[in-house]
Amino acid sequence: MGDSSPREMILIFRGTHQVMSAEKRLKGGGVPMRLIPVPRRLTSDCGLAIRINPEERERAREVLAAAKLLPVSAHLLRGEGVYEEVKF
Amino acid sequence: MRRAGNPGRSGHALSLRSARDIFAARERLAEVFGVPDSSRFVFAGNATVALNQAIKGILRPGDHVVTTSVEHNSVMRPLRRMEGAGVSISVVQAGRDGIVDAKAVSAAMRKETRLVALVHASNVSGSLQPVGEILRAARRRGVFTLVDAAQTAGSVPIDLSTLRVDLLAASGHKGLLGPQGTGFLYVRKGVPLVPLIEGGTGSRSENDRQPDFYPDALESGTQNSVGMAGLSVSLAWLLRMGVEKIRRKEMEIMGVLLDGMAKIPRVTLFGPRDPARSASVLSFLVEGMDPAETGLRLERRFGIMVRAGLHCSPNSHRTLGTFPEGTVRISPGPFTTMKQVALFLSALRKISSGA
Repeated sequence: MGDSSPREMILIFRGTHQVMSAEKRLKGGGVPMRLIPVPRRLTSDCGLAIRINPEERERAREVLAAAKLLPVSAHLLRGEGVYEEVKF
Repeated sequence: MRRAGNPGRSGHALSLRSARDIFAARERLAEVFGVPDSSRFVFAGNATVALNQAIKGILRPGDHVVTTSVEHNSVMRPLRRMEGAGVSISVVQAGRDGIVDAKAVSAAMRKETRLVALVHASNVSGSLQPVGEILRAARRRGVFTLVDAAQTAGSVPIDLSTLRVDLLAASGHKGLLGPQGTGFLYVRKGVPLVPLIEGGTGSRSENDRQPDFYPDALESGTQNSVGMAGLSVSLAWLLRMGVEKIRRKEMEIMGVLLDGMAKIPRVTLFGPRDPARSASVLSFLVEGMDPAETGLRLERRFGIMVRAGLHCSPNSHRTLGTFPEGTVRISPGPFTTMKQVALFLSALRKISSGA
């Protein structure tokens, strides 16, 4: 692993609508994010996920909690294709 | 088909574009109806599918339903089918103006009544029902409510933050000005609805059971994302224009039509004479003339297209006294001009006088 500060946090939501809603809220709240295909290692779902910089986690949490749109799980990229599930 | 990716099934650009189109349509729909959580708007192929989902999703054997004599077959036929499955139905008779008495609906509710299903405005007479009063009465009795807003969505303001309805269905191609093949069902949070259709949702793919969260719970299989792209654009227009403004314009047109048509000999009008008590739908007959013939003459001679006949609502016609011949129906919209109204009145004068 080596790198102690991961550059990516992946947020997984229940369905496409929830991902889209989360994107709208995060963008509205000025939190930099990107919509990405769900990494296959994280779920069997074939949809979308949100990628943020782990440094934005607090702001993202505030925005999403206010909208009752907390993700079902959050994952830190620890290395090439290696994710660690973390509390969001 | 640059917009026809399958949303929720992939992360590629076309899939994402479709997901965005559907999301935009849902968000705008929620805005039109004053609902903060757009996930409660479930898309369906049309209002009929939405009504079937509502009726068959909430009723169980032994339940009782109160409905009215001015319902469309998209409400009556699923109800009659449920009657065969142990549901009992009370049909409250509306007046000759097509308006049902809220107290009569209230009086028809029993201990085992689970649902009051009623049309917001009749598709034949345009009569607006006293939905507010009926919904309040049902709510007091703990009875679920279903409103068929096919004739009013996008044409008559409906604010679901004040109108406490449990289920509301409408089509996308009428007052909402979207493409055919689009419709929706609004489901208030906490209303227990069994899905009519189960299948792939793109979510919880590891699980072979239907998800319980909205909108996925009631949206299985590939959605009409192309239709939703169209609906989303028409909803954006509707939001810019404002349903209030459209309603004012359509009421003004209805007022001119009602006044003008009432003065034409041999023309009989059905439904309320007051535009405030009617949606933008008006039925009439020319004395001694088959409605189909009136429709044919309006089109052949004047290029005016109308619907003639029974309008998929036999009970409404029985209520108005126009069964089985039916009526001729006109329905001015936001793009109807006063010039067109004048042309129509002049055409009807000629047809009714035999000129």
